[in-house]
Amino acid sequence: MNGITALAIVAVIVFGTIAFALLAVRGVKMSPEQYIVGGRSFGAIFLWVLQAGEIYTTFTFLGVAGLAYSQGAPALYVVAYGTIAYIIAYFLAPAVWRVGKDNNLLTNADFFENRYNSRALGVGVALLSFVMIVPYVTIQLSGLQILLRIAGYGAYNATAAVIVGFLVMALFVFSAGLRGTAWASVVKDILVLGAVLFAGVAIPMHFFGSPLGLFERVLQTHPHMLTLPPAGVFHGTLWYASSVLLSALGFYVGPQTFNSVYSARSGDALRRNAIYLPIYQIVAALMVFAGLSAALINPGLTGPNVDQSFMLVVQRYFPSWILGLVAGAGALAALVPASALLLAASSVITKNVFGDAFGVATSDRARTRLTRIIVVVVAVLALGIWMIAQKTVVELLLLYYNGITQFFPGVVAAFVWKRANAWGVGLGILAGVSIAVPLAALNIFPLGMNGGFVGLLANVVVLILVSLVTRRESG
Amino acid sequence: MRPAPSSGALLLRALLAAIPIFALSFGVLLVNRVEPRLFGIPFLFCWIAAWVLLTPAFLWTIGRVERRW
Repeated sequence: MNGITALAIVAVIVFGTIAFALLAVRGVKMSPEQYIVGGRSFGAIFLWVLQAGEIYTTFTFLGVAGLAYSQGAPALYVVAYGTIAYIIAYFLAPAVWRVGKDNNLLTNADFFENRYNSRALGVGVALLSFVMIVPYVTIQLSGLQILLRIAGYGAYNATAAVIVGFLVMALFVFSAGLRGTAWASVVKDILVLGAVLFAGVAIPMHFFGSPLGLFERVLQTHPHMLTLPPAGVFHGTLWYASSVLLSALGFYVGPQTFNSVYSARSGDALRRNAIYLPIYQIVAALMVFAGLSAALINPGLTGPNVDQSFMLVVQRYFPSWILGLVAGAGALAALVPASALLLAASSVITKNVFGDAFGVATSDRARTRLTRIIVVVVAVLALGIWMIAQKTVVELLLLYYNGITQFFPGVVAAFVWKRANAWGVGLGILAGVSIAVPLAALNIFPLGMNGGFVGLLANVVVLILVSLVTRRESG
Repeated sequence: MRPAPSSGALLLRALLAAIPIFALSFGVLLVNRVEPRLFGIPFLFCWIAAWVLLTPAFLWTIGRVERRW
């Protein structure tokens, strides 16, 4: 009975949000530019909502709490990397936006093709973007499953509900495009903020008298959780610093972030946006509090189960309607970013692989139609991979960043180093990915550092050396 | 186009960006401890929270240096 109440609330929230967003984009004509980058018309506030909507995913909601639950202080890396990413974004995003605007670019692969004058590089970036987005979508599905299983008090088969929920979201993107995602983000941001305040402030107050009472208790029982482990070990200080930098550099070069950067009305809208975005990091900080609280209230979870930590506390100690509201907010935190990811993955495949490499669907109408179809194909593919993957939410995210961050040197070099060419950038990405992804997948941490960071260093070295010995291809 | 910024302004801008980036990444190696606590919050947590909240001020100042607002 309780499970029905909570699940019904989740369903109302998810379908209500979709209905709201569909109404909001009613009558908007979907050219590829409108569908993929919102017609390059978003001002600072709408942009903030969209970016907060796609950045603060189920990872922030469950993964940060899970990491704080199992490790404590290392979870702070999320609070730090987002903030550094906005500093980088202040400089990088307006420059990328300008190139996109002047050359009518739609995807991250377009950017590489345009700057380095190489179609092969564009197609390579498109394929890699597509491959790396899938684990990121998988994170959202794992998160959604946890939320639905807990909201149903374990009595229902969450897998079926995840599949239904996700396919509904794919159909939503199919019709509403990036503007629809931005409107859905409005609802999502408000609900997630409420849920996070509950998790990070109300839960500690309920159990420990005040949010600060939490730290008193952790200090008595788990003092080691309040600092980072020493350098050289997993989750130690060097892991922290290298993960922070790696993730911060990768933050704005993912294909979905290119879409949202292009959607800006002006460069100054992006700069103002970068100034306001760190404030949203409070959300991540509160989820660290929630995870620490759960470690005291409900210890004993291990492995991928740590992601359930704070939701289990809500389920056990609070009424089912609160559980429904929190899980509903969490479900939006999974589905809204997933919609942006699906859109980004399908736009690179349609535009850069089918369109540019094979000459298929190059007219505006055909391109919008093919992008829509591929949204559904990607959704089904991600569902398939999700059903066989078994990693925690944080591990999957680091896998994504290990791959995607390899785009960073090429994006920056496009603005600061005239000699950088397609060979250097392409081989650099290849070197970086072939070092970073195996290290991440096998959980190897050279010198206690994040493997992606090592890959990034190799990437930069290869980019510079190869660019110096090869000639820039015309232009 | 606005006039090209002076080298002093460029240096100031780079410094304003580098300080919070360092403080939130490798700088944490210098402050990885519980004491002194502020309002009961461990020092490491305070340090990171403080730099997150200071970052908008740094970015806004960079905008001022660039004469954007």
